Amino acid sequence: MALRRCRIHKLSPTLTGKKCVSSTQSAVRTYYSIHHPDPAPFPPIQAQILSTALKNVPRLGFSRDALLSGCRENGYLEASAQLFPRGVYDLIHYYLVTQRLALKEKVQFQQDAKLGLTQKVKTLTWARLQANVDDGIIEHWQDALGHMSLLENIPASLKELGNLSDEIWYLSGDTQVDFGWYTKRAQLAAVYAATETFMSTDRSKDYADTKEFLDRRLGDVRVVGGTVGGAMSYMGWIAGNGLGLARSWGMKKDAEQQPNNLVGISLFGNQDEVEAMSRLKKKLSSMRNNRS
Amino acid sequence: MSLRIASRRLRLPSQCSRSFARRGFPQSLKPLQEASEKNNAKTTHFGFETVPEAEKEARVGKVFSSVASSYDTMNDLMSLGIHRLWKDHFVRSLNPGSRAASQDQAWSILDIAGGTGDIAFRMLDHATNVNGDNLTKVTISDINPDMLEEGKKRSLQTPYANSGRIDFKVGNAEKLGFVADNSIDLYTVAFGIRNFTDKDAALREAFRVLKPGGVFACLEFSHVDSSLFNAFYKRWSFGAIPLIGQVVAGDRDSYQYLVESIERFPTQKEFKAMIQKAGFVTPGVGYENLTGGIAAIHKGIKPV
Repeated sequence: MALRRCRIHKLSPTLTGKKCVSSTQSAVRTYYSIHHPDPAPFPPIQAQILSTALKNVPRLGFSRDALLSGCRENGYLEASAQLFPRGVYDLIHYYLVTQRLALKEKVQFQQDAKLGLTQKVKTLTWARLQANVDDGIIEHWQDALGHMSLLENIPASLKELGNLSDEIWYLSGDTQVDFGWYTKRAQLAAVYAATETFMSTDRSKDYADTKEFLDRRLGDVRVVGGTVGGAMSYMGWIAGNGLGLARSWGMKKDAEQQPNNLVGISLFGNQDEVEAMSRLKKKLSSMRNNRS
Repeated sequence: MSLRIASRRLRLPSQCSRSFARRGFPQSLKPLQEASEKNNAKTTHFGFETVPEAEKEARVGKVFSSVASSYDTMNDLMSLGIHRLWKDHFVRSLNPGSRAASQDQAWSILDIAGGTGDIAFRMLDHATNVNGDNLTKVTISDINPDMLEEGKKRSLQTPYANSGRIDFKVGNAEKLGFVADNSIDLYTVAFGIRNFTDKDAALREAFRVLKPGGVFACLEFSHVDSSLFNAFYKRWSFGAIPLIGQVVAGDRDSYQYLVESIERFPTQKEFKAMIQKAGFVTPGVGYENLTGGIAAIHKGIKPV
């Protein structure tokens, strides 16, 4: 699987909640490279305390007690909780970042397996959701969601959601470089957020209900995307008809005018439809000029 | 404005001894001049003046002796009461006190330059009322005995006066002989460090007395980010504050020193670098600006 292609359009690693630098380093790398390892996302002392605290979360929940237990067990004082200016949210953020970075190791696609893009995305999304269960976090996930939705934490939470969505699409081998890059990630972020919220209340065996929920949401995305694409194709066909009609009314080929912004059409249409729409716009405006 | 201030300072002693006699400064500058000739090797800043290091301590002492009794009134007038919000936020964000009910979890706090006890009483209130900790202790240390007297007077109004949880000690932050190594959980200094002669020595001393994992926290006036807001702020500082000092306390020079010393304090980033140089680990950005940068909280943790 050619996962080593150049990620020229990945989100910059410095868009994670904290800058990728320890308190004693001054250099922040502003580019991303697959040939050089990423700098550690957290300073060493904080990472040490938070990883210990995370082990205690199944027992203590995402609470100040978990944070303090992490401090105590590493030989720090209760006062050392000052290392975490956002308090419990720092612990949640650490969990989100480390789970996202662990996805690469967790899911390895075989070179020869003929899996479609959607199937890979589904596998990766389910692997990330399963990690919540394996770490015993899921019982406390509603608390975590509450912390993440506090006003001061919303920007960082949304950033992490975007990063996760980007990571999943990248690991499944997406190489699209047009506007669809944004729509795919936005759609997956919405699906993931909904599924995770559903999972926090799911009591079925092995979270089978959540798996079906995920399938339904991904199916919705496919259907809605297909419907909109079909609608745009239909409109393109109508536009082609309008073109023929205009020609039959005696429209001549005129000097080219500035093409309008066709980003919205390029979302769902293909190249022919884009060209047809741009030609139609030019003809219609030149017809307007002829008549006036 | 600064030229006018500079020219005032350059007047010969004989011409201005009459005016100085009425203020809180030494009656005669002659002995100080002789002393300065002997120790003219190292100088430091006293507001916008440059003075020998040995002299700064005495002059700062005189400033604070003269403002001690009206300290709170002056703070209220200068910051329009906002200093209370700053101090409350400072203590709340430090969250002193332990929910665990045992003696060995109780914090021992050292409040430096905290003569009048503002921060110390807030710490004890927070520990007792918010965290249910009746065992946390605060030692208040100040170089100026008059400020400590004021603090002792005020402690009589609190429930902690004879509880054994408050201790008043005269001492120099650059050389805390009475504090053992690795014995303090939380070292705080609020609006004091800009008066120290050698801030690096104070930071090193803080590093020495803190336990591994202990916290150094400093609340101090700092530099405003926005240049527009800064213009208004500087106009208020240099125009209004010495005038208020003259009208309310009859002591213009002390308050002139205060605003000049704020101007000479390092910026947030510079001070953060000084804290890191002393060996502390600074969390997150390293500082938190209050009211747009008029004050800033700097924190550092001593690594294990």
